[in-house]
Amino acid sequence: MIRVDGLTKRFGRSVAVDNLSFSAAPGRVTGFLGPNGSGKSTTMRCMIGLDRADAGQVTFDGSPYHDLSQPITHVGVLLDAGYVHPARRAVDHLRTVAVAGGVARSRVDDVLEMVGLVSVGRSRVRRYSLGMRQRLGLAAALLGDPAVVILDEPANGLDPEGIRWIRDMLRHLASHGRTVLVSSHQLGEISLMADDLVVIGRGRLIDECPVGEFIRRHTTTRVRVRSPHIGEIVRQVRARGADADIVGDLAFSDAAVITGLAIVDVGEIAAEFGAVLHELTEVTDSLEDAFLSVTGEAAEFRSGS
Amino acid sequence: MTGAVLAAEWIKVHTIRVHRVLVGVAFAFPVLVAVLVAVFTPEPRVVFGNEVIDLISGTSVVSLLLLACLWAINLTAEYAHGTIRVTYAAVPSRWRVVAAKAAIGSLVTAAVVAVTFWVAWWVSTAVLSSRGSSASLDQVRDIWATFAALIALSVVVSWFALGLGLIIRNSPATVVVTLLWPLLIENLVSLAFTLAGVDEAQRWMPYQAAITAVVDDGGGDSLGRPWGPLYFAAVAAVLVGVGMVLENRRDA
Repeated sequence: MIRVDGLTKRFGRSVAVDNLSFSAAPGRVTGFLGPNGSGKSTTMRCMIGLDRADAGQVTFDGSPYHDLSQPITHVGVLLDAGYVHPARRAVDHLRTVAVAGGVARSRVDDVLEMVGLVSVGRSRVRRYSLGMRQRLGLAAALLGDPAVVILDEPANGLDPEGIRWIRDMLRHLASHGRTVLVSSHQLGEISLMADDLVVIGRGRLIDECPVGEFIRRHTTTRVRVRSPHIGEIVRQVRARGADADIVGDLAFSDAAVITGLAIVDVGEIAAEFGAVLHELTEVTDSLEDAFLSVTGEAAEFRSGS
Repeated sequence: MTGAVLAAEWIKVHTIRVHRVLVGVAFAFPVLVAVLVAVFTPEPRVVFGNEVIDLISGTSVVSLLLLACLWAINLTAEYAHGTIRVTYAAVPSRWRVVAAKAAIGSLVTAAVVAVTFWVAWWVSTAVLSSRGSSASLDQVRDIWATFAALIALSVVVSWFALGLGLIIRNSPATVVVTLLWPLLIENLVSLAFTLAGVDEAQRWMPYQAAITAVVDDGGGDSLGRPWGPLYFAAVAAVLVGVGMVLENRRDA
């Protein structure tokens, strides 16, 4: 269990993280979302004491990171795949982490196999692609077989197979009771892998809830109807105070999109006067739509167009 | 756990090729110069042990500067590549990490300098002997004090580079300051003091005080032994102390 309580980090006059509080539960993948510059990476660095927080506390199963004995056996962290000396062999990089963290050297071969780098483990990291470096970073995070895993943009640079692999890996870790906190800009991936979301903007918490709940909260569910009696259905829907928009040409269209009524209500209205339905579909917005709707004001940087 | 941090730092040092190259050059330079002098000196019969030791001590100072660059690079590359974050994630106590780096730097530098010193002596005197010289340790006054001063200087130089690296955190800048400090900065400061009418400024330049102590037992204007190396050690310890305080306050 991760608990972040009142975390604040300033860089000069700029407040990067502003009284941020949230938690991530064991057995679940928690997506950590926010626009560029919203403070996600700074928060993650503060969580393990790399950046000095100005206020607040972060605990892992009740203990601050610096109080953990052999911390990499409790918390595994991947902050940036580039945090490795390019002239060092991958296996040596992992050995330094294992030895410093009090982990048996034999784990190095285990994690290399886990991330699919056994055949290139003795190559120097400068020869690695970004995707291979991501895998190496994940291997370092998993060295101590930790109960908590924190990953910052782990899918960066991965090909589609790699992205699916990391999704399955994180789901697998969570299914074994581990706490997984993962930040990503790939919202489609997050919607597939995360159970819960923590969304921040300008260093502040915007929302914290399960993924489905977040989408429901921040988008409007609509019902799409196609029927030869669409005109009558629209009139009945509007009479009940809901909105209905004919799709396409008013005179010839047989489709409408209805907001403000549940799909069962629309079906019952059609049944009341015996209307034939060719389509009755609930249209739900994506996580991306929900994310953009709540972070629009909090985006630090945006294009001019 | 402290042993584990030492072991991890040792792995970091010996798994980078440029580190091994620098150690190799630091070893080869005094040995090569001593051998070349032994081979080409026109009058080997009048070369005595004290002259060979002076030559080896002087060239060893160049090796020390190379090793100082190694320790500067070893630390500052961690900031450049972000591996310091991986290190501090594994070992949150920054004091322990820096102490381990200081210990590894001291041990490796002292070992390399000691081996280089005696290998250079053995090889060069073997060559000289084959050319009719009678150079021997008996002809060297205070050989063990000279050797101890050189080893002390080598250890302190590694601290000095570590302290600069902690403060500057940038590889090129740290290497430049590490090299220019003894070669230029101390001379300029000393000159400035002299022009301002302050006598004996040179003897209080820390690097010079320690270097002079290797080849000078305290006569003349130098602080001599053991005060030269001790004075330099105090300055280096202050540098490391300031660097450590900054390190604990800064973000990694």
